[in-house]
Amino acid sequence: MRKLDRLSIGGLACLLVLVLFALGSPAGAGGDPDAIVGPRLQPPGPGWWLGTDNLGRSVLPRVMEGVGTTLLLSSVAVLVTAVLSAAFGILAGYRGGYLNELVMRLVEVLYSFPAIVLAILVAAVLGPGQTAALASIVLVTIPLMTRLVRAAAVAVAQRDYVTSAVISGAGLPRVLVRHVLPNVAGTIAVQGTYALSVGIAVEGGLSFLGFGVQPPQASLGVLIQQGGTYMIAAPWLILGPGVVLVAAILAINVVGDGLRDRLEPRETRSLT
Amino acid sequence: MILELDDVTVTFAAGPPLRRIHLDAMRHVSLSVAEGETLGLVGESGSGKTTTSRVALGLQRPTAGTVRFDGRPFPRRRRALAGRMQAVLQHPHWSLNPRMRVGQSVAEPLDVLGRPAGDAVAEMLEHVGLDAGFAGRYPHELSGGQRQRVSIARALITRPGFIVFDEAVSALDVSVQVQILNLIKDLQAEYGFSALFISHDLGAVRYVADRIAVMRAGEIVETADTPTFYTAPAHEYSKQLLEAL
Repeated sequence: MRKLDRLSIGGLACLLVLVLFALGSPAGAGGDPDAIVGPRLQPPGPGWWLGTDNLGRSVLPRVMEGVGTTLLLSSVAVLVTAVLSAAFGILAGYRGGYLNELVMRLVEVLYSFPAIVLAILVAAVLGPGQTAALASIVLVTIPLMTRLVRAAAVAVAQRDYVTSAVISGAGLPRVLVRHVLPNVAGTIAVQGTYALSVGIAVEGGLSFLGFGVQPPQASLGVLIQQGGTYMIAAPWLILGPGVVLVAAILAINVVGDGLRDRLEPRETRSLT
Repeated sequence: MILELDDVTVTFAAGPPLRRIHLDAMRHVSLSVAEGETLGLVGESGSGKTTTSRVALGLQRPTAGTVRFDGRPFPRRRRALAGRMQAVLQHPHWSLNPRMRVGQSVAEPLDVLGRPAGDAVAEMLEHVGLDAGFAGRYPHELSGGQRQRVSIARALITRPGFIVFDEAVSALDVSVQVQILNLIKDLQAEYGFSALFISHDLGAVRYVADRIAVMRAGEIVETADTPTFYTAPAHEYSKQLLEAL
């Protein structure tokens, strides 16, 4: 097995820093994210290292809380996506027939919506909040992952070891769990990282529009939305969460590329 | 007769509903394999050899005709035949699950039957000319010939009465082919299984088969004992094939 390349190790390190940064919030580092600590809209200085917002709250602990909210929400959503996509993709790819048609047509319907429109639709049905953000991320990321898992499962289903297992009398659950799943796991892992970065972007977008995480709880989207109002007078409000958002998405994508190179070496690399 | 195909036709449909094309992969094929016998099935690509093997293994239901295994029609559920028929398939590269150790792969047919593997895996690996230590390795550490040996060990572990070798040596180097063919012959003498040996390689088939059936465009054009076939082929197409050898 080849190791991850330097770029992805950098991305992994960046993610680790962000997670530690987020873990600092419940640990009390940086102070209470909801406490008013000073005058309104102060530039960065001692006592408020990233400045204060329009209510006089320190931005640093709010960014820490925001990263945590966003990462947790996205990760949980991507786990749900991974489980559902793996189940449907593998079944559709291996069994084919009507089940395959049904799953693929449903996925195509979902795929035809622009991500943010789909997310707003979900928020309109479920009402704004964390549940809506979570469901949106799942619905936005599920089509691509299901399609790719299905494609991988179709390829695996034709391989001789699967045929041999069927000839030996192995039942469907055994074939799927012992032969198909382990051989499409690479695809799931790689797509999972991409789904995570899409999830972060969707959460940011939805919260930015006010349909996602609700204030006073902070998420990157909420912070960017609030910061946007004072962009000219207090650019530090949007700079902190903006940089963190970009860093998180970039780092996850780079790690995803590295993972893909390692697990699916025949794929060509799109970046770098 | 361990396996009998009686007037089997398999038709595949392709294309949109109104302009659907029907293609016969097998047309009125009748053939049989006796106890302990090896039937060689030869023919060019697309002649229906692989479809025949799929029908023989119960993976493909015939459109018309009957298939009998050990004198009885094929059971509805494949599971009823578990362990009684096995196959060694074409691509050494894909014959073993890359995520499973060799030992697990070899033990799987027993596992499916709910029988404990015990020493059977090590014993079987040694029987096919591999060290028992191979059980702990992964397929990517093995050569093509070694992988086919593992496939043969996996096929034999349940002591099946019938084994299909579908192009089992075609992807191997010539010298390795001979080794594997010798192994198959030795094991057959020892275990007494019947075999359907499918290949486009007339030389390999001659080496292991007792009788030869020639397929072309989904039909059996000739069936003959091996010595007769190689000295005096009856059908024009068989003559052509032999001349090309």
